Amino acid sequence: MVFHFLRRLILFTLFYSFVAAQTQDQVNAASKFLQKDGVQGHTNNWAVLVCSSRYWFNYRHMANTLGMYRTVKRLGIPDSNIIVMLADDVSCNARNKFPATVYSNNRRSIDLYGENIEVDYRGYEVTVENFLRLLTGRVDPSLPRSKRLLTDEKSNIFVYMTGHGGDEFLKFQDNEEISAFDIADAFEQMWQKKRYHEIFFMIDTCQANTMYSKFYSPNILATGSSKLGESSYSHDHDSDVGVAVIDRFTHLVLSHLEGINKTSQATMQQLFDAYNFDHLRSTAGVRTDLFQRDPSKVLLTDFFGGVAQAEVVQSDDVDDARDFARLASSAKPSVVAESQSGKQQKVSTAWMEMGSDRLGELGRNSYGLSRVWASVGLIFGTYAVTRFLF
Amino acid sequence: MATFGSLVVLRLLLAFSPIPNYLYDNQQLTSPLTSYTRLKEGVFLLQNGFDPYAGQLFRHSPIQLALFSTVMPPNKYVLHAFWTLLDAATAWNLANIWKKRSGTTDWRRETIIQASYLLNPYLLFTSLALSTSTLDNALCVYAISLAASGKRAPALFALALLTQSSLYSVLLLPPIVLLLCTGPASRLKTPIAPSIRISDVGRTVFTFVTYMLVLMGISTLVAGNLGWMKETWGATLTVPDLTPNVGLWWYFFTEMFDHFRSFFLMVFTALVTIAMIPLTIKFQHDPLYATYLLVGNISLFKSYPTMADPGLFLSMISIFPELWPYLRHPLPTVMWHMYAATLLPLFNNLWLGHGTGNSNFFYAATLVFGVANGAAFLDSTWAGLIAPYGKPKQGYTLLQI
Repeated sequence: MVFHFLRRLILFTLFYSFVAAQTQDQVNAASKFLQKDGVQGHTNNWAVLVCSSRYWFNYRHMANTLGMYRTVKRLGIPDSNIIVMLADDVSCNARNKFPATVYSNNRRSIDLYGENIEVDYRGYEVTVENFLRLLTGRVDPSLPRSKRLLTDEKSNIFVYMTGHGGDEFLKFQDNEEISAFDIADAFEQMWQKKRYHEIFFMIDTCQANTMYSKFYSPNILATGSSKLGESSYSHDHDSDVGVAVIDRFTHLVLSHLEGINKTSQATMQQLFDAYNFDHLRSTAGVRTDLFQRDPSKVLLTDFFGGVAQAEVVQSDDVDDARDFARLASSAKPSVVAESQSGKQQKVSTAWMEMGSDRLGELGRNSYGLSRVWASVGLIFGTYAVTRFLF
Repeated sequence: MATFGSLVVLRLLLAFSPIPNYLYDNQQLTSPLTSYTRLKEGVFLLQNGFDPYAGQLFRHSPIQLALFSTVMPPNKYVLHAFWTLLDAATAWNLANIWKKRSGTTDWRRETIIQASYLLNPYLLFTSLALSTSTLDNALCVYAISLAASGKRAPALFALALLTQSSLYSVLLLPPIVLLLCTGPASRLKTPIAPSIRISDVGRTVFTFVTYMLVLMGISTLVAGNLGWMKETWGATLTVPDLTPNVGLWWYFFTEMFDHFRSFFLMVFTALVTIAMIPLTIKFQHDPLYATYLLVGNISLFKSYPTMADPGLFLSMISIFPELWPYLRHPLPTVMWHMYAATLLPLFNNLWLGHGTGNSNFFYAATLVFGVANGAAFLDSTWAGLIAPYGKPKQGYTLLQI
């Protein structure tokens, strides 16, 4: 009796540990897949691009933001994941000599306004309250989806702000200001509500570095255009438009980003190394103490781009989740799969085979046309019978 | 005869012109129960082994499915020829009804009747659109014509066949039974209750029920299971498909809350069915006229009408020339119809083609159409009621009928 029970117990323990090991194997494989170097756990990218100043002479702030918008879109973040806040509309301003355009250099080479931009908050909607509500997610239920920051705990967010600022404040719309403490608290709320995986905060104003001095939440990488007591300067001045069209810091960042594309392996450290005082006329700063990864291992596309790492595995090589994880972890990340066309062919034939089987079976068994012919004969037969019946 | 032939040829020429290409999916000429494209779809599904009734797309009766997948392939040209043939047959049958009713032949009168059917734009365009409501009209007129000729079994078979595709036509049974038992002669001016043998009535009803059961059995044989009833008759009764049409139901059912749906279904079904008994009783002395009025009532209130249903009613008035003097407002009725016939395609295009109007425009036009049909129906009823009293005499007023 006891021996019988012990045998049962041993078998059960063995079975349980076997199953647990299998499951743990799968769990390990799955988390390994999600934590490969270079992907590091984020699955989607968002960008919040804010221009906080209005009036015609702040043309360059609008151009800064639109330039950043264009670059971020080019590198792969879709419009649905970009929130653009423009406090004024310079392209349709009566003083714009080139209406419906916004340029960011004096050669007027690229029209940033174009035909396909999506501005989510415009004009007087760009306020401190709206910005903080956007970040924290405490919005009115009636607010449309396009105006919400629908991030989750695996989102990397690029927050870019530009306008007129000062010691730990940024001016909004010429009548209110947001302080560094406000943004820091908003980010902390986001962290507590698991609304971001990592944030890259970039700010281009006077005394910009003071704005990120008060952050205290983890996983934030911050950079600013000038330190306390310094102003940030504009870069290009266009005589036909009549105002400055871009700021130095943003111009440097954008020209650096023009050199990369979606598949680039360029790192953040390379961008930070490109800062130089001669060009910027101000001391740009970087804050990395809250950021867990080393900037030299962080790709630019982790924040500026919306790149999804996809690996194509041949379907017949995969038997279960373990095989899939093994193959996935060993394969190199590739954006385009060479074998895609072959795989598609295989898939489509399989579907057709399945389809024709089903059709044939049904056609033979249930709805033979013979029954239909029989019923037609019956109809005419009944009619003929009625003709002879009175 | 020559006129009839030339009208048929004209119809055939129009059918082979490019006009029908624009009409096949027109929602005023076809409905989910009668559309040619849905018929083609159902036949295709059947021929490829799928159940046509599984998708809630195909709502024709299995008899039509059987016919069009075997004997008559749903090829455009074949069907156009067949539809023209049906129209010609219907026109001939209408003239035949008049012949049986009046007991004489008059080729001028018959030509007018045939022309009133073949030149009616409501019927012409519906036929060009290959809508199976032409088939329904043909069966309806054929059933009435056979009943007027006294051929009991074929008439009831035709009515049963008609009921398979147009459920509300079962309401035509009581007047047709009376018609078979009494005869088609015009007795509007002498409203005496006819003597009817109950055994006759019983026999007729029993024959009809038998034919219905036989046809339902054949339909089940075609469809493989009983699911066709829910998709065809069920669609007529419960209105699941709210495609806009020229009827009064669809707009109501798009905007009402689900909570009230069964109530409104009851109300609308009552509107259709409630006139059957009173009309049959009131016009028991002339059941052919009762049939005519009931056709009008059904076409006014049915759930998925096309333009052919009121079109048939309007064309059938040509069979009753003795009542034309008693119509009170024929001109306003015609004007209403012209108004509706102009507005309906206009607002349909404005709503769905241009995008500058909305469904309320089209709904308003269907209301005008309903008023026009109602005016025709009421006027015909009034004329039938007042016929015994003749023209009003000076100094006398009619207090009550």
